[in-house]
Amino acid sequence: MEYETVLTTCPYCGCGCKYYIEVIDGEAKSVLPCKEDPISEGKLCIKGWNAIDFVYAEDRLTTPLIKEKGKFRKASWDEALDLVAKKFAELKQKHGSDAFGLLSSAKTTNEENYLMQKFARSVIVTNNVDHCARLCHASTVAGLAAAFGSGAMTNSSPEVEDADCILITGSNTTEQHPLIGSRIFRAKEKGAKIILIDPRAIQLSRFSDIHLRQRPGTDVAWINGMINVIINEGLADEKFITERTENFEELKEMVKDYTPERVEEISGIPKDDLIEAARMYATAGHASIIYSMGITQHTTGVDNVKSCANLSMITGNLGKSSTGVNPLRGQNNVQGACDLGALPNVFPGYQAVTNPEFREKFEKAWGMKEKIPDNVGLTVVEMVNEAAAGNLKCLYIMGENPMISDPDITHVRAGLENLEFLVVQDIFLTETAELADVVLPGTTFLEKDGTFTATDRRVQRVRKAIEPIGYSKPDWEAICEIAKRMGSKGFDFPSPKEIQDEIAKLTPLYGGINYDRLDELGYLQWPCPNTEHPGTVFLHKDKCSRGLGHFFAVEYKPPAELPDEEYPFTLTTGRILFHFHTGTMTRRSKKLHNDVPTGYVEINPLDAEDLGIKDGEKVSVSTRRGAIEVPAYVTKKVPLKTVFIPFHFRECAANVLTNPALDPTAKIPEFKVCACKIDAIGE
Amino acid sequence: MDSEWEPKIVGFLCNWCCYAGADMAGTSRMQYPPNIRVIRVMCSSRLNAEMIIKAFQAGADAVFIGGCHPGDCHYVDGNYRTKKRVDVLKRLIGYVGIEPERLRLEWISAAEGEEFAKTMRELCDEIKNLGPSPLKQIAEEMV
Amino acid sequence: MERVVRKKVKELLDSGNVIAVIGLKDELGKTTPYLFRRGDDVSKLKLSPHYPLATVARKLHKADPEYKFALLCRGCDERALIEMAKRNQIDLDGIMLIGIACDEKMARECNCAVPYPSCDDIIGEPLRDLELGDPYGEFKKMSTPEKLEFWKKQFLKCNKCYGCRNICPMCFCKECELENGLWLRKGRLPPDYPVYHLIRAFHLAGKCIGCGECEKACPAGIPLMTLNRLVRDDMKDLFDYVAGTDGENVNPLYTKEEF
Repeated sequence: MEYETVLTTCPYCGCGCKYYIEVIDGEAKSVLPCKEDPISEGKLCIKGWNAIDFVYAEDRLTTPLIKEKGKFRKASWDEALDLVAKKFAELKQKHGSDAFGLLSSAKTTNEENYLMQKFARSVIVTNNVDHCARLCHASTVAGLAAAFGSGAMTNSSPEVEDADCILITGSNTTEQHPLIGSRIFRAKEKGAKIILIDPRAIQLSRFSDIHLRQRPGTDVAWINGMINVIINEGLADEKFITERTENFEELKEMVKDYTPERVEEISGIPKDDLIEAARMYATAGHASIIYSMGITQHTTGVDNVKSCANLSMITGNLGKSSTGVNPLRGQNNVQGACDLGALPNVFPGYQAVTNPEFREKFEKAWGMKEKIPDNVGLTVVEMVNEAAAGNLKCLYIMGENPMISDPDITHVRAGLENLEFLVVQDIFLTETAELADVVLPGTTFLEKDGTFTATDRRVQRVRKAIEPIGYSKPDWEAICEIAKRMGSKGFDFPSPKEIQDEIAKLTPLYGGINYDRLDELGYLQWPCPNTEHPGTVFLHKDKCSRGLGHFFAVEYKPPAELPDEEYPFTLTTGRILFHFHTGTMTRRSKKLHNDVPTGYVEINPLDAEDLGIKDGEKVSVSTRRGAIEVPAYVTKKVPLKTVFIPFHFRECAANVLTNPALDPTAKIPEFKVCACKIDAIGE
Repeated sequence: MDSEWEPKIVGFLCNWCCYAGADMAGTSRMQYPPNIRVIRVMCSSRLNAEMIIKAFQAGADAVFIGGCHPGDCHYVDGNYRTKKRVDVLKRLIGYVGIEPERLRLEWISAAEGEEFAKTMRELCDEIKNLGPSPLKQIAEEMV
Repeated sequence: MERVVRKKVKELLDSGNVIAVIGLKDELGKTTPYLFRRGDDVSKLKLSPHYPLATVARKLHKADPEYKFALLCRGCDERALIEMAKRNQIDLDGIMLIGIACDEKMARECNCAVPYPSCDDIIGEPLRDLELGDPYGEFKKMSTPEKLEFWKKQFLKCNKCYGCRNICPMCFCKECELENGLWLRKGRLPPDYPVYHLIRAFHLAGKCIGCGECEKACPAGIPLMTLNRLVRDDMKDLFDYVAGTDGENVNPLYTKEEF
């Protein structure tokens, strides 16, 4: 009898908990928390505890599939890979490289993300590579890079528990990042003050000292309001502003207009509460800002992020422990996917594609004869738009499910169906894979080696615990095979270890990261430029990545679509604890599915009474994009005239309703605000 | 305290003894307050801890369990089990802040209609003094 | 003490009396449960932090009931095995216990009154007369409304990870009442108050062996052992029953006897 424990990283959220997989006779049996893991410390959330379930689900993709006459048939890897390589070469010849789009995956390993963008840039020769960070933290990457010079979480997750004040906005931390929620609870035990700004009365609201319920989409206003109070009451950190920042005068001038009275008008936050919150944040010794989708998923997402940066710099809460601006990245490896350049505007390590120096560096390193294009490529939503318009002919999608996660799903379907050739590489036949011409079966985190980067820049090992199920192949192998069959040379890797070594050579941020060091130390937080460097716990000590922190004077702009007579409710969408994103993995986990088998719409009791709706009754929610039928969950969690729908469920998909309006810089959709109406169906 | 409030007491009465006793109280026109919602069970030991806990969570101000006298259980030893369970459960609810007096176990036979009515009157008064169950307010907050 | 244990384990394996020893190993800088075989490097054997090895034993036994192994066994591990055996989850005949006594630091961390197993050969000095302080602190002095406030603040942090149940050596029901929609409305966070925690505490009456793993596994930091310890004390007080100390007696809550 064989028994072993394999230490690996969780495939669900960005907390980056490591735990043991108990393997008995080659089968993964159960999860055992690791008491010495720095993030989880032997505790896990319900998803982590049930991380094995989906791996053995009955409908795992085990062989490649090729679509013939509208139906899928099984195929061998050789047949499928040859077909894909042939079609890619054909289409590149016929329509040019920019007719291709590639979607990499925030769920797959760093090595796989690196290979995907390498494939895009060196084999297809296009910058049209993107992934779902576009839908969640694109605003963060753009906003914080502009303000500080680096778009990542400034501090580390464990530090949160030692803050004196934690300001949480747009983050349902206990549900979405449970092991960071744990730190918030511990901080509270130690006496920290908790400020929560969120339209909904989420679980954290019981434990917050102040809870401000703003109208969705008014974040720039209340942050400017807080800055106004902080400056007027002399609570700003003059020394920090003088020595470490620039452009303060412009901000100071602009926030004069954002008096607490005006902010109350715009956001609905009572002015005395705003003043109290500002004071609480500014007078704390070490104050930390935690934010997530509530800040980023707006047409003013980048402005919202810049405002958060402003707030932290005004009070000198940057560059020291337990402070900073802390965006909580959702996916287990969305940070890694961004770091490794699966973005249309940067190479690995955020080296801009528009910079000829970097282009030359990569062309040389990859032994390319062709030149990498000098223009920024298409983003996720743009790719769908171009596909619908007929300009984009081919998409290669790995581990992404735009048919559930993108806004305005009806439009997404039209776009994908309009493509000449669609290849989807995934572990299940997702809603997106159903539309593909070729489906390639990838492997889960249990069946391959690699690394994930958690939200606090923490690179950790994923270790193979079981053999791939059926004929599935690790995603990195599949990409390499296609590249090789298209005649490319740079895809001969014996294992992910060597891929990481190549990454380290080309990516200064990951320069000192290799598998031996990760085995020895357990994790390394970038920047880690060389093998002597111990990794970086928090950023911007002494000076920001860009030198001086830049204040951006941003004015409040309302969301793209506000309620009106025809659509009188505000619809906001989001996630819940029990399910993860498009539900591909969690809805196949018995225990998770048991607790939440289908979606719902949260509606305030007074609104429900007005409409004659009872708890549990099915209602119709409609917007200008479409309509869905979904059970009502009557609760005081949502304010009046606002409803909340989690987006995980295909049968009542919130994204049928959402507005594909984008932030102009980050191109992130406004998932958090649109107008809808509710009708009782009478069932 | 809300003068309008009336205690809601859930009463699990065993079919063979207590329920019959309650029935007797009724047919004999004995007066007892209407606050008790009766649920007939075949034996008091049918009740598991989950049912009692759920009754409290759902808003019961008190839970009354009526069974047969020791030695008289229709199923021989069911009531012994009930007693042990309730002993543990009474202390447990006390630890989390629900007054143990809200959970009451009594042995009442089919002939003891008077005893039943009297117990109900006493219980109702006692709960009126204790006030509404603290869980009700928490449930309200959690809507 | 680790040296003595390593020597003992090597001896056992070399002698061939035992095919494998369930212990803890230093791997990748962390301690993990490990099945030592003859020829394995026992210098890697560690004794802390404590993992519920009794659960590993139960899982291995379930996978192959004929498999004979030895097990590093602390006081709580032995109590768990005894209770598991009474419920037919494991056959103690096929398992050899290597008794380990906890040192004072570990005993005080777990607030354990009996930090050693009952076997004859115990490695380490069993702390037979350990003076533990009052584990309840201020709690017992609180009034009923104060107790309500105390637990309200704690239970409302719960995010239904089921970690307390998953890690508990005594929890192995195929169908768990905590997942039954009749008692707890599904998908609600925090769970219906205080149903989850009361059901758990009640189900542990006469079962809880006081290992404290539940509290250590709670991401919300809820002091679960306070409640479980109170119930464990009640079982002794009401029925003179202490789980894990006797291989024959049965939990009074399962029997028909009057008390």
